Amino acid sequence: MKRVKQQDVFAERRPVKAAPDAKQLRKMAGDWLKQRRADAEMSQADLAARLGLKYYTFISQVENGFSRVPIEIMGAWASELGLEQAAFARHLLMYYEPELYRLLFGAESK
Amino acid sequence: MSVVAFERKQDSGEWSDKELRALVAAFGAALAPGTGREWETGMTERGDAQFYLLSPLPDQACELCVSRIGGRYVLEDGLGRLLFEHRNLELVGLHAKAAVPSTSWLMVRAITLWCAIRNTMHERFEPLLVEGEELFVQFVPQLAAFA
Repeated sequence: MKRVKQQDVFAERRPVKAAPDAKQLRKMAGDWLKQRRADAEMSQADLAARLGLKYYTFISQVENGFSRVPIEIMGAWASELGLEQAAFARHLLMYYEPELYRLLFGAESK
Repeated sequence: MSVVAFERKQDSGEWSDKELRALVAAFGAALAPGTGREWETGMTERGDAQFYLLSPLPDQACELCVSRIGGRYVLEDGLGRLLFEHRNLELVGLHAKAAVPSTSWLMVRAITLWCAIRNTMHERFEPLLVEGEELFVQFVPQLAAFA
């Protein structure tokens, strides 16, 4: 599996400053996840199998921006993509809970 | 010789009009005006069709998702939990209908209705019960004396 430099991976595709709505942000998160999966040279079906999902449809649901990565499998999702779990969760929080992200890491992220 | 044309079941690609009509009909109540819900379609990377039932604004997150994989319909919730799967879309639609999360709007209506019923019961039947109790208190000693 191809591993990607984490620093570069988490540095790109920050959400735009003009507060987009939840749907747009989920879509951006989905695009980022899709890119990370592509970097890991995995198909949606591969990732689903590694996460123990019967069908790969949920991976598509998340990558299309209609659902979030559930917290229960966030760590495993990160590991399967070859990413550091905390950095992965922090990056997704930026899309899923932008205000919480700003409160927690606002100063550092700028 | 006459040939009966059987409808070929679609296994991949976008939703057919018939499938979409069936899904929208199944989610009819959930998509009723006033609920704020919407639906969208999408595709997996393998080109399998997906139908998303979205929650009202501002979140518009997927509440339920129906996907077609190799002629099989898969019903999942927004957390990826597999709820039902079958080759018959109507059957999946029935399960989807039952799986629609009840909204706070429905809950409010149910509570209001329950309160109205309770109030009516209280107003109509309480006096009768009190009256009956008074009669009972009056007549019991007399009945006891006769016994």
